[in-house]
Amino acid sequence: MGSRSEERRREVLRRLEELGKTVLEQIKEGKSPHIDIPVRSLSNIEFDEEKMMLKLGSKVAKRSFLNVAHTRKFMQTLLVAAFAKELVEQNLHTSLRDMYYALKRTIPGTKENTFEEQTESDAVVVDIEVAKDILREEMHLNADVRGRVVGDVTIIDRGDEVDWSKLGSGGWAIPSNVEDIEFKEVNADYILVVEKNAAFERMHEDKFWKKENMILITTQGQAARGVRRLIHRLAFEHNLPVIVFTDADAYGWYIYSVIKWGSMNLAHVSDKLGTPQAKYVGLTISDIDKYHLENYTIKAKDVDIKRAKELLNYPWFQKKEWQRELQLMIKKGYKAELEALSSRGLRFMTQTYLPEKIENKEFLP
Amino acid sequence: MAEKASKIFQAFREHSVAEFFKKNRQMLGYSGKIRSLTTIVHEYVTNSLDACEEAGILPDITVEIEQLGPDHYRVTVEDNGPGIPKSHVGKVFGKMLAGTKFHRFIQQRGQQGIGAAGCTMYAQITTGKPVRVVTSTGNGMIYECSVMIDVKRNEPVITDEKEYPGTMRGTRVIGEFKGVKYVKSEYGPYEYLRRTAIANPHAKIVFRDPEGARHVWERAVDALPAIPKPSKPHPYGLTAHDLLEYASMSKARSLKSFFVQTFDRVSAAKVKELEELTGIDFNRKPDSLTWEEAATIIDAIKKIKFLAPSTKNLYPIGQEQIEKAILNVLKPEFHSVVTRPPSVYRGGVPFIVEAGIAFGGEAGRKVDSSRKMEIMRFANRAPLLFDSGACVITKVVNEIDWKRYGLKDAENMPVTIVVNITSTYIPYTSAGKQAISDEEEIHKEIKLALQEVARKTSIHISRKIKAKEKSEKKKTLLKYIPEIADALQKLVGANKQEVEKKLLEIVEKKYKEWEAGEETSENGEKELEKLEEMAVKEDLENGSIGE
Repeated sequence: MGSRSEERRREVLRRLEELGKTVLEQIKEGKSPHIDIPVRSLSNIEFDEEKMMLKLGSKVAKRSFLNVAHTRKFMQTLLVAAFAKELVEQNLHTSLRDMYYALKRTIPGTKENTFEEQTESDAVVVDIEVAKDILREEMHLNADVRGRVVGDVTIIDRGDEVDWSKLGSGGWAIPSNVEDIEFKEVNADYILVVEKNAAFERMHEDKFWKKENMILITTQGQAARGVRRLIHRLAFEHNLPVIVFTDADAYGWYIYSVIKWGSMNLAHVSDKLGTPQAKYVGLTISDIDKYHLENYTIKAKDVDIKRAKELLNYPWFQKKEWQRELQLMIKKGYKAELEALSSRGLRFMTQTYLPEKIENKEFLP
Repeated sequence: MAEKASKIFQAFREHSVAEFFKKNRQMLGYSGKIRSLTTIVHEYVTNSLDACEEAGILPDITVEIEQLGPDHYRVTVEDNGPGIPKSHVGKVFGKMLAGTKFHRFIQQRGQQGIGAAGCTMYAQITTGKPVRVVTSTGNGMIYECSVMIDVKRNEPVITDEKEYPGTMRGTRVIGEFKGVKYVKSEYGPYEYLRRTAIANPHAKIVFRDPEGARHVWERAVDALPAIPKPSKPHPYGLTAHDLLEYASMSKARSLKSFFVQTFDRVSAAKVKELEELTGIDFNRKPDSLTWEEAATIIDAIKKIKFLAPSTKNLYPIGQEQIEKAILNVLKPEFHSVVTRPPSVYRGGVPFIVEAGIAFGGEAGRKVDSSRKMEIMRFANRAPLLFDSGACVITKVVNEIDWKRYGLKDAENMPVTIVVNITSTYIPYTSAGKQAISDEEEIHKEIKLALQEVARKTSIHISRKIKAKEKSEKKKTLLKYIPEIADALQKLVGANKQEVEKKLLEIVEKKYKEWEAGEETSENGEKELEKLEEMAVKEDLENGSIGE
């Protein structure tokens, strides 16, 4: 383990203990103890124009022991903090589900459990992330594993050297926690992020990443925290441009939006998960005209139109290019999947569409 | 008891009494196994109460129900009344529609059913057995006999007579019934007697249920209620059934003189109006009246304007009496009662509404281990157990915004609401006589009465509920303390015992603050202001502002 991560580990421990110390001091003074937790509701989510990121506003809620509406959560917050502290101290990792089971027990003299549902403990983890500005992964609590990567990159993961170019057809499965990964060698001009696994496999088969000298990542749907953190770290630590490639619909565009600006659920960690320099290459509704794909579109459902209208109103979608795309989609009433490009030939995507667009910098902001 | 036994209803001359009973079962209270048993208890208990009151005796009534088989029970009712003279026993228990109640117009308890003879009829139909009567007027001799009804002639058949010396005063009747079922629900005899005790605090009631449990409702008041004075019935209060009854007993020569003599506020001019409206010849003999004609006349009466009856003859239970009854039976933590001034409905029928509310103690309907709101409805002191959904009392109770009076979740609170309507004529919704119809004036009076009692208890209720909320809050805080102390020990190595002790102190301190806060608002102007606001809101709702 490198000194960077060791230092951070100590910092995480310090912050968790700080939470407990504040409470303990209040108790010793005979005051009603409380924990300050930034509000995470929509009303407190703002878009930071300068940093180009979603972030939490300044509203802070007091979680107070003497407020019976808070008492249970107050207790839960301390339970999770104590658990996380032990994990980090002993350098053990576990999942959110495991933690839920480890902490769930009946409160003596009652029929009540410390946690009734996993959603309760999950929510408290996010509270602590926000309150103490530490990532869940830094508390050694891991989430789903999703997303894969290939490229001319060598990393060190728990002491093992892994070469992303030599992992066969599957590539490297991105773990939920990429905090402790060290990049030993990175040879790439940019990062291409594709939403779909099928497109990733097609490109990998053609060794498209080698030709283009880039790192190819698939998010396999909405990007998990590990994938977003990996993109963030590669982009910032190695100064690489990021290009995103998704379906031409509101859901695909929101995947891009989350990678670039952060998500509403995790607005408090946008600065660690968001990658504001990311650009969008396609698919766009304008592409459908340009590449004659009309016959391969799908009729947009009501929910697609509704979602597109929502995006229209988000502050971070106010750029005129995006407004035009969204309005075009609503007007035309159709959407398109990446696979539509295959109608022009199996290699059209890797030989024509992407190289042309990337060469000419035909991106949406 | 001057009426002649030979006079039988014209309308039923061709039919046997048994047929009459079968046809009118529903309206006589014998519908369903559960209700039939309650009706039997009602008939006997009502007779006993009436007999005691008329004789100036404080009633002691004992009811016993034994189960003999499936849907098969023996009912015994005993009172300390004046007893029944030997010569009258047959008439009371063995002759339908020959009771003492029909020869005068009086504010009556039940008005439903056909009395003790109806029970004899029911026993006879379901088991084929007579009822056994034991009675004594206190003259040192006890008389015993079995009574059945000769259904063809509607005459009593008396067998197994015995007479022997003994010290007893009162009447005991024992009947066996099938097609009945005992339940301890709000429709059963237990609840009937509990409510009877509420409306009759001058009576002592003992009940032995089929499981052998003995329930006692002690006398709460040592004074007999005033005996309602008989008066002529007002035509607005009549039913076709009543009219036939009176006609059959009348000695008048013509229907015309029968009407003028028998009923209140009926002049010769009014009879003429009736004649014109119905086309019936009023020179005929009263006992020639048929059921159909009686029904036509009753319809016509509703279209004619008669002078209103006087309110003199109304005898409510009385505020103090209800209060004592509620304390005696429900043992509530607090209560309030009101007797409203007399009012009239349908342009002339006088009535009085009385209402009470009881909270805590044994108030409320017991459901498992908790208690829920219950509504006790009474008409002239008789409990109404059935058809509650159709009754104006239930309707008004549901209309009241109980939250306003501090009952946040009234339905699920230990609350008993008592409403008694006193009138010479209770407007029932149907022949079953278990629900009072929604007359505008009655509706409004019930509402005013309930608002008044609710307002009176609201301070107590909100104080009590707040205290409970506080102690629950405290409990919530306390239960998490060990978990918190444990977490702090793990997180920062805190001393668990010390943290627990400190947190306990913090909670106690806060609890004291809450209590202190309550004291100040209690004595302050706040509560008064709240009450005044309530009264204004009620006035607005009842439309009494700007009238």
